[in-house]
Amino acid sequence: MRLRILLYLAGFLATFATTASAADFDRVVKPLIQKYCVQCHNGKDANPDVDFLKTMQSQEVGTVFEIWESAVKQLRAGTMPPDTEPQPTQEERKRVIAWFDDFVQNIEARPAVFQPRRLAVNEYRNTLHSVLGFDLEVAIIEAEQTLAERSLVVKLLPTDPPGKSGFKNDTHSNRLTTVAWDQYSYLVDAGLEQLFQPHRRKALEVYTGRISEDGLTVEQAQQLIKKVLSKARRRKMSADELEKAASRVGGLSGNALVGAVKFELKTILMSPAFIYRGLLISGQRGKRQRVDSYELAERLSYFLWADMPNETLFALAADDSIQQPEVLKQQIDRMLLSPKARSLTADFATQWLTINEIEKVSNNPPQMVALKSQPLDFMHYLFTNNRPLLEMIDSETAFINPHTSRMYGRDAKQMKRYVKQKGIEVEIVANQKIRLEATKERGGILTMPGILAMNRGPILRGTWILERILGDELPEPPANIGQVPPNTRGEKLTFRQRFEKHRSKAACAIWHDKIDPLGFALQDFDNSGKYLRSANYQPSKKQKRKQQAPNLRDNIDTQGKLPSGETFENMSGLKQILVTSQREAVIRNVVERTMSYALCRKLVVYDRPSVDMIVKQMDESNGTWRDLFYAVANSVPFREMILSNAE
Amino acid sequence: MTTTMQRRTFLRGAGVLLPLPFLNLMQASAKPTENAHPPLRFMTLFKPNGVHPPSWNISGGTEFDFRMSPLMKPFEKHRDDVLILDNMGDFGFSSHANSTRRFLSGHHRSTKSSSVDQLIADKIKGDTPHRSLELTTEGLFPNQIGCSYISYDKSGAPIPRESDPQLIFDRLFRNPLANPDHRKKMASVLDRVLEDARSLSRRAGREDRNTLDEYLSIVRQSEKRLAKMQQAKPKIDVGDFQRPLVAGNLNEQVESMLDLIELALWTDSTRCITYMLGNSNSRMVFDFLGIKEQHHYLSHFFRNFSRTNLEALLKISLWHMEKFDSLLTRLKSRREGEGTLLDNTVVLYGSGMGHSDNHTVKRIPIILAGGRGVLKTGRYVRYSQNQQLGRLHLSLLKAFGIKHEAFGGSEEPLRGLNGSDFEPYRERPFDSWVKVEGNKITVQGRLRMSDNLDEAKIFFVDIEGKPPVRVEVAFRDFHSFNLAYHCGTGITLTGTGRTDGNRQIITKVTDLKSIHGKKPGTMNG
Repeated sequence: MRLRILLYLAGFLATFATTASAADFDRVVKPLIQKYCVQCHNGKDANPDVDFLKTMQSQEVGTVFEIWESAVKQLRAGTMPPDTEPQPTQEERKRVIAWFDDFVQNIEARPAVFQPRRLAVNEYRNTLHSVLGFDLEVAIIEAEQTLAERSLVVKLLPTDPPGKSGFKNDTHSNRLTTVAWDQYSYLVDAGLEQLFQPHRRKALEVYTGRISEDGLTVEQAQQLIKKVLSKARRRKMSADELEKAASRVGGLSGNALVGAVKFELKTILMSPAFIYRGLLISGQRGKRQRVDSYELAERLSYFLWADMPNETLFALAADDSIQQPEVLKQQIDRMLLSPKARSLTADFATQWLTINEIEKVSNNPPQMVALKSQPLDFMHYLFTNNRPLLEMIDSETAFINPHTSRMYGRDAKQMKRYVKQKGIEVEIVANQKIRLEATKERGGILTMPGILAMNRGPILRGTWILERILGDELPEPPANIGQVPPNTRGEKLTFRQRFEKHRSKAACAIWHDKIDPLGFALQDFDNSGKYLRSANYQPSKKQKRKQQAPNLRDNIDTQGKLPSGETFENMSGLKQILVTSQREAVIRNVVERTMSYALCRKLVVYDRPSVDMIVKQMDESNGTWRDLFYAVANSVPFREMILSNAE
Repeated sequence: MTTTMQRRTFLRGAGVLLPLPFLNLMQASAKPTENAHPPLRFMTLFKPNGVHPPSWNISGGTEFDFRMSPLMKPFEKHRDDVLILDNMGDFGFSSHANSTRRFLSGHHRSTKSSSVDQLIADKIKGDTPHRSLELTTEGLFPNQIGCSYISYDKSGAPIPRESDPQLIFDRLFRNPLANPDHRKKMASVLDRVLEDARSLSRRAGREDRNTLDEYLSIVRQSEKRLAKMQQAKPKIDVGDFQRPLVAGNLNEQVESMLDLIELALWTDSTRCITYMLGNSNSRMVFDFLGIKEQHHYLSHFFRNFSRTNLEALLKISLWHMEKFDSLLTRLKSRREGEGTLLDNTVVLYGSGMGHSDNHTVKRIPIILAGGRGVLKTGRYVRYSQNQQLGRLHLSLLKAFGIKHEAFGGSEEPLRGLNGSDFEPYRERPFDSWVKVEGNKITVQGRLRMSDNLDEAKIFFVDIEGKPPVRVEVAFRDFHSFNLAYHCGTGITLTGTGRTDGNRQIITKVTDLKSIHGKKPGTMNG
């Protein structure tokens, strides 16, 4: 399947190769690569991801676009070639950059070739709930301080690996297995069995109307099948198709009728048209076109809710009004108010910001949940309260509960007093929203206790900011890198000084120049995320035992210099840089991640113009998350598709 | 053999009693094992958070002449089928996690070997479809993960547990291997979805075709697997077994599970089951008993002492005992060979911990039941010394014909389980008497709690050949003289009160002396 996309792309690039840029490439860029890059970056290089020999053929620029994007980024920042190697002149640098910018500007925005995809586990759970009207739950007692999976779907289906986009809803390379198939079958059986039990009578009557003492009538059974069929297919079915499905239970009664209905419903829910998205898409083969209204409703609904469209969306798709930007906008507003929009934090933000890593911080669930719920509640607030994108970096709003309030000094007094009921030793407590006044250092996601604690030490913290906030992709470090050596006898170097020695190798320094300033800026916070400069700082018992406490507060060195040359004193200085001179990079990353999640795939070269446009718009207008959701929902890759030819 | 059993309520769903016709097992056609020598099974029921010793321990008593303690009342009717062990465990203070590991592994340091149930499962599994079942009621307790497991595999790794009766039912009786009816249905579903996928395929483009091919190949593989299974012959007809309903609360969940345990053993689907009624350290809230406090909080009955807390704790413990009773009743209701299913099952009931407030592991609750031929039941065995749990496990292994030189650091099997000689606990004798001078009463005898747990503040001093003296005092006396501590031992108690007929009632304590024992708070653990 991947090969086909590449072939398709090659076709698209072949047309591109006729433009002036291709000739420029051979004339301008190629000699420079030969001169400055190939010596290290060839087939035998330690980093096979950057093989310039491969990129030498001009018509392949598009297929290796990511290499170019990163190479030019390095060229702009002056981080490549490394200091130890011969340097291109300013003029030469400019020439390559100009060529690349020209190349990028000439990319035409295009939608992707449409590909069906299997529902991810959470989407399947939510969609099955929407059809049945209830959740399938595991019988397990959830006492405080225990972890239990409540959803039968999540418990039984194999966990989704993240796709190439980094998100789990990118299921394109997550193949169906017999194990998963058996579990689908099991889940459907379990769901249908419940649907016909007395305690689910209401859910059943949503489809059938009131069921009398005598049980289900044939008419009711047929209604049920028709309605479930339309719902499960997530688009309008023809009268013929509905009649055909319903006719199969004609003439039956009693238990035989119920048995036959269950069988019909099972085949509907086991059909590929239910388990996959997009198999019923309509459109002209071999053409670029707008997606049909049902597909648009689905795209929107799985983006904001990770669930199938509800009746409102379904109705708007039926009369095509959902295609109007105004209507789409209203729907996004409405959908963000729904509790289902929580999936944006539970799935999108969690996977993007690796928030689940916080689970490893504490093995005491109420404490862990408290730490984890802070970034979740904060992101949910940004997403649904029309807050600016950049408030993610710094904000006056925070969410705390009694488990985390210690870290918020006087600001914790804004919290309503929490009284533990008699006999409750420990419990999970909801967060309260506060305004940061005395502990402004906690503003934004970067300095939340859980985020700081899940990434211990400056290198992991710096890497996380670089990858997750600034959107850089780092290569794997060499395997033989070793640890930062301890002080030798008589030596009295700080960790940072010893570290400087350790990272001095050119190949390492290039990356560490980017990572380190970000990570060391957070040295004001200890490994558990406590603020060392706070007046009432108390080291943890473990730190006390190791007698690290005095060390920790002395010699804190948070100063840094970014590869761009900008300097800062500490984290608040860095935050300031991130929302001013680096804001474009931050916004670009936010836009790319959001778009990639919404499209359920990795972005490719022809998404670039759409991304650029939204980045510019967000940057200029200091756009909000809601603005971003509007923009993504109206973008070319979201609204359009290319349908492959039938074979 | 005709199975005579009452029709009864199988399961209780969502708060409503739903009488369901119980299986078709009442008909002789569904007789499971016609075996003249039914296999011996092993069943463990684990009770979390120890006990409140004054209400659990048997007061005085000898091997055949003993009075069941207040908490044992629920299964008093099974007296002839149980073997109550006392002085089990030889640790002072112990953490929840360690005491739980010892329950089936002998010692908490046995972290590289199987727990005893798994060794037994290996030996007795025969050709049963399920080697063993490991069951529980609640989620994992990650803070001390050892609190959540009693069964460990041969590398010493904890075995995942299952809590959902429906999932267990389906695993036992709905899987296509066990259920031909289910196989038939599955085959028709496969036919239809195949048809469906093919019709979609006709209108598909290249990309969708790929997806559909993937789907179709999985469906075909499923068909092939199913065809292979058609050859397997089920041992019993499980087609009409009733699947448990969704449980509305813990009690319903456990009752359903006990139903399934009974069925699983009786149909010889498995011969070895462990079931935890909760994690050790469980913080469950027994709201269906009208209790709002967390179980672990209540289990520290001294640290968190109050009358209502104690009453709540005893209610929970009593509920645990009722589940044990329920299990025994079920196993007895199934006739098998010359006796009942219980006769062919060794049941181990107990907790890893004894005293739930100070965490001692010196008199942990351990009761064996059933196992005719390997256990001699109807007895109370109190050993002279505190016994390592590994010794119990060694004897169990022996009972199942497994030779093991040592287990959990113990090398000697526990004596006396099958009626062999053992060294019983011997207490220094003391006289018992009562003296009344006006309203002053002095009594010497053995102190015990009232059998009625609803009146947890009432105690009795037993006197040889005379009615016991009732002690019914205010909270302050109860607390400052620490009456509960002395339960089961001889004391001399002075107080004031009244005489009612030939019975004395003490309403105020002025002095309490232990005859042979120590003062509370002077012993470790």
